[in-house]
Amino acid sequence: MPELKLPDIDYAALLPMLILFGAACVGVLIEGFVPRSVRNMVQLVLSLAAMVAALVFVIRRAGEVTAENAATIGGAIMIDNMGLFMEGALLVLGLVSLLLFGERTLERGGAFVPHAAVTVGSERDREQAVDSGATEVYPLALFSLGGMLMFVTANDLLTMFVALEVFSLPLYLMCALARRKRLLSQESALKYFLLGAYASAFFLFGVAMIYGFAKGVDFRAIHEAVRGSETSPTLLLIGLALVAIGLLFKIAAAPFHVWTPDVYQGAPTPVTAFMAACTKAAAFGALLRVLYVGFDGAKWHFTPVLGAVAVLTMLVGAVLAVTQTDLKRLLAYSSVANAGYLMVGLLGGNKDGLSSTLFYLVAYGFTVIAAFALVSLVRDADGEATHLSRWAGLGRRSPLFAGIFTFLLLAFAGIPLTSGFMAKFGVFGAAIAGDQTWLVIFGVLTSIVLAFPYLRVVVMMWLSEPGETTPSVSIPGVLTSAVLGIGTVATLLLGVLPGPLLELADQASSFIR
Amino acid sequence: MVDLLLWTLALPLVGAVIALVVPDAPGRIVSVVASVLTLVAVVPLGFDRPAGMWHELDIPWVPAFHLRLHLGVDGISYPLVVLTALLTVLCCAYSVWHTPAPGRGNVLGALLLVIEAGILGTFLAQDLVLFFIAFEVVLLPMAAVIAVWGGEGRRRAALKFALYTLAGSVLLLVGVVVVVVQADTADMVKLTESPTLPATTQLWVFALFALAFAIKSPLWPLHTWLPDAHTEAPTVGSVILAGVLLKMGTYGLIRVGIGVTPEGFAKAAPVLGVLAVAAIVVGSLVCLVQTELKRLIAYSSVGHMGFVLLGIATGSAVGLQAALIGNIAHGVLTGLLFFVAGAIKDRAHTGQLAELGGLRERAPWLAGILGVAALGSLGLPGLAGFWGEAFAVVAAYQRGGLLWTVLAIVAAVGAALTAAYLLRMLRRVSHGPVAPALAAAGEVRWPEAVAWAPLILLAFVLGVVPVLVVDLAAGAALISGALGR
Amino acid sequence: MDEYLDSYAPVALLALVGVLIVGGGFLANRLLRPRQPNAAAGKRDTYECGLDPVPGGWAQMHIRYYLYAYLYVLFAVEAVFLFPWALVYLKAGLAVIVEMAIFIGVLALGLLYAWRKRALTWQ
Repeated sequence: MPELKLPDIDYAALLPMLILFGAACVGVLIEGFVPRSVRNMVQLVLSLAAMVAALVFVIRRAGEVTAENAATIGGAIMIDNMGLFMEGALLVLGLVSLLLFGERTLERGGAFVPHAAVTVGSERDREQAVDSGATEVYPLALFSLGGMLMFVTANDLLTMFVALEVFSLPLYLMCALARRKRLLSQESALKYFLLGAYASAFFLFGVAMIYGFAKGVDFRAIHEAVRGSETSPTLLLIGLALVAIGLLFKIAAAPFHVWTPDVYQGAPTPVTAFMAACTKAAAFGALLRVLYVGFDGAKWHFTPVLGAVAVLTMLVGAVLAVTQTDLKRLLAYSSVANAGYLMVGLLGGNKDGLSSTLFYLVAYGFTVIAAFALVSLVRDADGEATHLSRWAGLGRRSPLFAGIFTFLLLAFAGIPLTSGFMAKFGVFGAAIAGDQTWLVIFGVLTSIVLAFPYLRVVVMMWLSEPGETTPSVSIPGVLTSAVLGIGTVATLLLGVLPGPLLELADQASSFIR
Repeated sequence: MVDLLLWTLALPLVGAVIALVVPDAPGRIVSVVASVLTLVAVVPLGFDRPAGMWHELDIPWVPAFHLRLHLGVDGISYPLVVLTALLTVLCCAYSVWHTPAPGRGNVLGALLLVIEAGILGTFLAQDLVLFFIAFEVVLLPMAAVIAVWGGEGRRRAALKFALYTLAGSVLLLVGVVVVVVQADTADMVKLTESPTLPATTQLWVFALFALAFAIKSPLWPLHTWLPDAHTEAPTVGSVILAGVLLKMGTYGLIRVGIGVTPEGFAKAAPVLGVLAVAAIVVGSLVCLVQTELKRLIAYSSVGHMGFVLLGIATGSAVGLQAALIGNIAHGVLTGLLFFVAGAIKDRAHTGQLAELGGLRERAPWLAGILGVAALGSLGLPGLAGFWGEAFAVVAAYQRGGLLWTVLAIVAAVGAALTAAYLLRMLRRVSHGPVAPALAAAGEVRWPEAVAWAPLILLAFVLGVVPVLVVDLAAGAALISGALGR
Repeated sequence: MDEYLDSYAPVALLALVGVLIVGGGFLANRLLRPRQPNAAAGKRDTYECGLDPVPGGWAQMHIRYYLYAYLYVLFAVEAVFLFPWALVYLKAGLAVIVEMAIFIGVLALGLLYAWRKRALTWQ
């Protein structure tokens, strides 16, 4: 028997992930043994502490990254500058959205129920509707976030697949936990699960194809095989296409976006915020790594195809956003369109493309979390009132919140002095520098279309008379206020003084192969 | 002096914030004070006039995007800057006295100040990205002014205005990004002095710029947002819109279009010229059949801006000077016209020409001012409007060739049409028997007089000695700098 | 390319053998069976451990069996990992033992959670 060789494990580099997974396990224990009355507080504090601790270790590692110490566990995980930036970004965005999970003042028992799978309308379902609420969502979120950290640092396709499952499975479950509109919530979870499983299968099949082509699944082997291979690239192209489908599903690019509106609408709003910010960031982090590290040699093959996908994504997102009557669905389609803009930056294919995509992810994440936080505030007796007509005249009722929402919508529309403008400017500039001007033209055309639904909401809020049915805006608790404050200030700051983050993204925009 | 440049942008913004947080009545005063202070800060910029940029300020902002807080004032921008500051003072002062429903004059004042900051930023920016940002800042406050304080169809008009101009500015954005990425600098001075872009790129970048600025100016056939916006906007909104906001388009065409992409401009100039003359003729013909006072003045703007654009399109020193004078003259006269039209509408509660008449019997001073504004607007020698229109035609004729000669002739005919419709308007409003709607119309009140007096004065001064107000050399320098090579 | 395909020859051979065995079984059956069909009652019924068959082929399983199936898969997978580990842990030292303890610990944690949530009681 050959001598057993254990891979080197650099625990310090993996610490952020380990902390999250460890805290999630402790969270499961807390579920079992801590009395229900204090569980929410304990879980929230634990989760926040774990994220802060993980963030501290991410920051401490920044600047210490070298080509030698980046790869660990036998090259399965690659903590390079880019991976570190994505880890930090995911932790910060996750931290902000976790505050929304903890909000309990808007609704008795919080936004979540304990049992996802109870039949809607049954006796037990009615019981749990008035229940004091579930806290399983914290460990689930921690598992998911840990999986995301692994996803963006995975250095081979199999690790990436495992990470994909680790962060997806808790998300499927979290989608089904909404306290109100249970049927929608369960439907969204099932839809997300089935389509997600389907996409995972695509991804895995693609990995198999690429293994056949490159005789390896780690990115260095793939890179070398793509560059040096004399065999026909059929396997490579099929494999890359399948892997890309798996990832494009997660970033909600058309035509793999169909789950997005349903899931965004049905999932509990805090979870929607978490998905819109973090899942998108994680999936883009992985897509960047796959395309820039593994398959950069096949650029000529994938750029036109992914360009077409980007154009389709922007068009579908923008055009369908116009027809929406539900605010959460509108934001979902806007998130689809934003995936398209992000792809424009990604396809720039240069260092600028990388850094501008990173900047965009963070800027968009803050804005979208704040937007969903605001959506969770506008409620009536049946929970959140997300139909557009219900928002008419909101500016008269509560000018402050309508003002904040207006500002966030302007950021989505990319008006200057908001982070949205800087982000769009960055990705468009990168795409032009990378000779992808046609993508920019479509990007610009769709952003005109997309401005219409945003402005319509603004006009509706400010210029319509509040009707009998206009819901009131709940006074947010400390946590939601904090989220709103952080999101809005970040949107403004990144719009006025984007320099520091741009610089950070610029420094981070290098992979180690 | 350098600090003054920063103050011109900071003062209105600070004023806007203060006006927004204090109650209504003091807020209106705050906005007036802020706008007056801004005017005070703006005027000294022109005291000392070296060649090139008179004053410059250059602070890095976002180096990754070549965005610098690079401000500068020269002979091309100075008159527009002063006009902007002046009109804002007048509008803020007018709003203290009269704010249309639903009130909240402090918010209106704050929005006017934000608009002012944006317009000043556009005129002062020497950095292409900064120019774009300032260009875009103006858009939403203006839409809000129309949407909140406007007439009955205000929501539709505001949305139309916002989407139209937003479409224009995203085209501008593409142009800006292309220039910045390809030239690796956003410094407009540097770009003008040494254009590095290849000719084909210049052509299509200029096409983007031209589209964006043509929507703003507005150039026929992209003008359809303007009548709605003007008709529905409150008086102060119309004044700012016609007085200075449209100038952002023509200024952009001169500064960015000619300055950054001269070769593209040179190739596209005939198209621009034809469209400009079409705007003159179409605008005038449409005016002849207008039945509503503000709509008529709005369409007259299309015609007048046509002359300005014709001047620019000729690409000659004379044409550019005509455009610069025409810009200012149109701002002064149309601003005045909208003020007076607003006053008439407030008194008669209608703007329909058929329901107006006999104003000179009830309010001779008001009718007189309307007369002066209309005569100036139709290009009567001795008043401001004359120089811009006459020399635009002259410049086109001087350019020579069949096309430009024809354009000059058609434009001259258009000028005659301008006279026709303005006189028709005067006849309907001022002359004839007193209409019932105007039976109780009061005379010019002193707040109105205060607000209008500077404009009337300027209309005469510009008419007699335009050189005092407009720095002709700057235009000539730009043209020879960009196209002389 | 030929070499590459050659390496699949055993698989092809195995497939062939499989087909032969199954096909041969059916063939032998056909050769040996009596040729006079006997339509006795119950002949075509499904054989269910000697019991009378329950009407209908589709029966709904109760969802609670799912949990046991789930737990079975979980611990079966654990066992799969334990076998190779059992071969090497003495050579590899303490770290590997700790790692396996963590792995089992996490699984035990799940069981503990299920027990606390009364998911294991038959209800």
